[in-house]
Amino acid sequence: MKISENWLREWVNPAWETSRLIEELSLAGLEVDGAESVAPEFTGVVVGRVLSVEKHPDADKLNVTQVDIGGEESVQIVCGASNVVAGMKACCATVGAQLPGNFKIKKAKLRGVPSNGMLCGATELGLPDDGVEGLFVLPDDAPVGVNVRDFLDLDDQVIDIDLTPNRADCLSVEGVARDIAAFADCPVTQPFSMEAVIKQGAPGQSIQVIEAEACPKYLGVMVSEYDVTATTPDWIVRRLARSGIAAKSLSVDITNYVMLELGQPMHAFDADALTGTVAVRFAEEGETLVTLDEKELKLNSDTLVIADDAGPIALAGIMGGLSTRVNDDTKRLFFECAHFAPLAITGKARQYGLHTDSSHRFERGVDVNLPERALERALQLFTACAGGKVSEIAAEIDATHLPKSPEILLRHDRIKKLLGVTLERQVVEAIFERLNFQIQLEANGWLLTPPSYRFDMAIEADLIEEVGRVFGYNNLPNEVLVAPMRLPHLPESLQEQMFIRKALVSRGYHEIITYSFVDEIRQKALFPEEEGILLKNPISDDMKAMRTSLFPGLLQTVAYNQKRQQPQLKFFEMGLVFNRQDTETRQTPMIGGAIVGPLHAVNWANDDRLVDFYDLKGDVETLLSLSHVQQQIRFEPTQLTLFHPGQAAALYQDQRLVGYMGQLHPGLAKVYGVSGKVYLFQLELDVILTQKLPMAEAISKFPEVQRDLAFVVAENLPVQALMDALNEVKSDWLKSITVFDVYRGQGIDENQKSIALTLKMQHPERTLQDEEVESLVQAYIAKAAEKVNATLR
Amino acid sequence: MQQTLQTIVSQAKQAAHSVSELAHLEDVRVQYLGKKGELTQMMKTLGKLSAQQRPKAGQMINEAKQAVQGFLSEKKQALEDALLEAQLAGETIDVTLPGRGVDMGGLHPVTRTLHRIESLFAKAGFEVETGPEIEDDWHNFEALNIPETHPARAMHDTFYFDDQTVLRTHTSGVQIRTMENREVPMRIIAPGRVYRCDSDQTHTPMFHQVEGLVVEEQASFAQLRTLIIAFLKQFFEDDQLKVRFRPSYFPFTEPSAEVDIATNLFGDGRWIEVLGCGMVHPKVLKNVGVDSEKYTGLAFGLGVERLAMLRYGVTDLRQFFENDIRFLKQFK
Repeated sequence: MKISENWLREWVNPAWETSRLIEELSLAGLEVDGAESVAPEFTGVVVGRVLSVEKHPDADKLNVTQVDIGGEESVQIVCGASNVVAGMKACCATVGAQLPGNFKIKKAKLRGVPSNGMLCGATELGLPDDGVEGLFVLPDDAPVGVNVRDFLDLDDQVIDIDLTPNRADCLSVEGVARDIAAFADCPVTQPFSMEAVIKQGAPGQSIQVIEAEACPKYLGVMVSEYDVTATTPDWIVRRLARSGIAAKSLSVDITNYVMLELGQPMHAFDADALTGTVAVRFAEEGETLVTLDEKELKLNSDTLVIADDAGPIALAGIMGGLSTRVNDDTKRLFFECAHFAPLAITGKARQYGLHTDSSHRFERGVDVNLPERALERALQLFTACAGGKVSEIAAEIDATHLPKSPEILLRHDRIKKLLGVTLERQVVEAIFERLNFQIQLEANGWLLTPPSYRFDMAIEADLIEEVGRVFGYNNLPNEVLVAPMRLPHLPESLQEQMFIRKALVSRGYHEIITYSFVDEIRQKALFPEEEGILLKNPISDDMKAMRTSLFPGLLQTVAYNQKRQQPQLKFFEMGLVFNRQDTETRQTPMIGGAIVGPLHAVNWANDDRLVDFYDLKGDVETLLSLSHVQQQIRFEPTQLTLFHPGQAAALYQDQRLVGYMGQLHPGLAKVYGVSGKVYLFQLELDVILTQKLPMAEAISKFPEVQRDLAFVVAENLPVQALMDALNEVKSDWLKSITVFDVYRGQGIDENQKSIALTLKMQHPERTLQDEEVESLVQAYIAKAAEKVNATLR
Repeated sequence: MQQTLQTIVSQAKQAAHSVSELAHLEDVRVQYLGKKGELTQMMKTLGKLSAQQRPKAGQMINEAKQAVQGFLSEKKQALEDALLEAQLAGETIDVTLPGRGVDMGGLHPVTRTLHRIESLFAKAGFEVETGPEIEDDWHNFEALNIPETHPARAMHDTFYFDDQTVLRTHTSGVQIRTMENREVPMRIIAPGRVYRCDSDQTHTPMFHQVEGLVVEEQASFAQLRTLIIAFLKQFFEDDQLKVRFRPSYFPFTEPSAEVDIATNLFGDGRWIEVLGCGMVHPKVLKNVGVDSEKYTGLAFGLGVERLAMLRYGVTDLRQFFENDIRFLKQFK
């Protein structure tokens, strides 16, 4: 909410500079977003009256004017503005004046004619562009010779306050003034007297509140026989403008003004456009209303409306209707001033795509005692401008549904418990006096009744916050949190995530963080079977689907960097992926990576080969071995849409699929805009977050026996199959089987390959006999022959 | 005889001296000390001497042999040294060439910041808790005292899946889950991704938050303030950091505050908002079955990207999620 500082100071005027005022507002919880001068610095500009205008003898576009600036003699000014006419009032910069942009006015001669000053346009004074070509025209009643800054009230700041939803009581000049008064401990003065305007006769408009709970108070009044030509006074236009509200017509401007001044939204109807009784009711399903902004709304039955016999004429508390709006031909005005319950208004504006100053206030709450006063103030302002006959006020008030201020108990010791500061009773009482609460003393505290505008007060903690707020959060003592020392639960089987991250970092990976929502179609290209989880209100169409894997984000990042000439990329990300399983949503922590390009940065020593499947597999195995789970994970060839059919593996732990890795299918490179061979992996984080507790074994003192075997097997046989076969042989002495060579070519048939293995055997308690070793090796050879048709090379 | 020995020794010395290769040195040895060597031959003449002369002569010959042996060993050492020296000289490399290291990667600056925040609190006994990101209405709103009709819901710009399911707008839901599942008292922090339906220069639809919660019999707003000030000073390593608390509003805390900092390290000493905090609202405690008469809770929530930007001089929030490797490499 933007308000004029000068307006505010009419209500409350502590001895604070603007900067202090702004600071204090923020510290009171009314956060100031910014403050802006309404006009830049300038001096020496006064109201002038143009007495005469004559053509310049030597210049077509210039005029020579005589201007009355309130001195004994008029001044001669040469002026180039096209709208200058005799008799007008204009802003006149006198000799010695300093205009914005460090522009000083001196005596001068223009084409030989002396000129002693300058008549100014709006932009020359740094004022908002008024759209007028030439001079800034002042009203006829502007007093000649008066400083323009005073006349236009330009020594003013617009303060922008960002109010929290609970402080709707401050959505007005009066409201902000009340809070400042409490903090500055100075009085609030209403800068006008509240004499009731004379009212005569019945309103001539019947009203009926059908929904008293939603609208416990409805006031209406008829104004007729007023001056239809009357316009809004400049000072009101100016204040509205400084609050960001454009002037429209007298009745609308005045209702807006009162809303800003006191906080009560109101509405004026063209009374002659009303049919029958004005009623407050819920809309009937499907009823329509064309609002002031000329949108036709189809109403729901939960929407409170103002209606006449012909149908809805306004969205209650939100916006008026087009058919009954005040226009140039309006002869009679019906002013509405009501109290709507927040619950009846909340969310309704948004439901229709609206947000108005009125809905903003009613949703948050308006002082229930305000309508009478606000209506009177509006009538006072209106009749002062346009005269007219004011009717008696028609009122429908349902006392049972009017909100009542609660009595809330505040216990003295709770202040200490919650705030951590001990305050004397009288300090607390003084705070609530300043906030206009009614105070009733109780044995261990107080029974407090907030003023009707503090409808945000409901419980003891609310009161304690008020104590803290006024006492000053920054005046609280420094007190260190004291809590018993408790050792945490720290299972050793839980691997640290940072350890995993750092392992990849030291293998050259950069961690990335990508959005959890991705493009649905491109995600589908990777996993056509997977039903994604879709957002109802995505920020854009390409961020609609929750990621079902980490791959879209990784690939997008690869593409982004490749487009920026970064060829050597290794990325990883940790985060949740979201899968639909029947009707359940699974949110699984994952770790995934992508590598592409040269294995090493350009250098003199290392080879410059590109990364391949086994580079990535090595990285994955590192992660597995960090948590001692490498033995539990099986890599099996797999066929998936997203991977190269010959370079993809699925990772299984106890027959459960826990991850994938492989080369991105070259056919999908275009979908993500990546180039080169991109290798991807993804693994359920839990697999490596649960680590096996190591169990020490005695180290054998006896010699280790090593045998190398080379098997010839079918070309397409996975090594894993050979290993699985060998592992079927049960032996207590086998320590390890390691592949040390895979050979194809001379000496081996075309559709075969040779796999060379090293077997290490060792007995814990004795030296192995040659015969024992030999018979074990034979058992392996036999098993390999039996299971995978392997022959010894 | 003495004369002869002296001549042999001096010849041998000269011969050894003139040798330039190890193999030739052996020839010299053979010539003087070998089976048919000159000194060996001399030894054989001992038998012709009288028993009286023999010991003396023997001693003289031995001394001559030792002398020759000495030259030879000396020369051998010298030749070996020279050889090694020459070999090493040939093995000289350019030690100024870069090493054959693996290129290191790096942590994401948000992770780095999160880790710093977590470490500070973990060392003060806070435990780290996490929760789901697709969250139900109860944990994200209702339990936190933000009912359907509350205007604060509009503040949240929530992403919806359906009426009851949202992308969490804060990690405060983790508080609820933790208090539902564990006994008070407790000290936890809940870091993680959060989502708001908002995207412009200063907002990304996803960002990170760390939520902190302390529930104790004696936890006060003054303590919260002291804790937050200490945290901010430690985080920025700035003892002179100015911190101010402003009253604010969150449905789940009462009293509530927003916290601004001002420092000469960045931001020209202007106030910069960094976090929100407050005392847990009694309704929230009640929702999770904690006796709000006995226990009080203090809570805070801070934006990780905000702190990372200030700490590392990042000027555009969106850079965190573009993952430009040239940006990421700066945080190695």
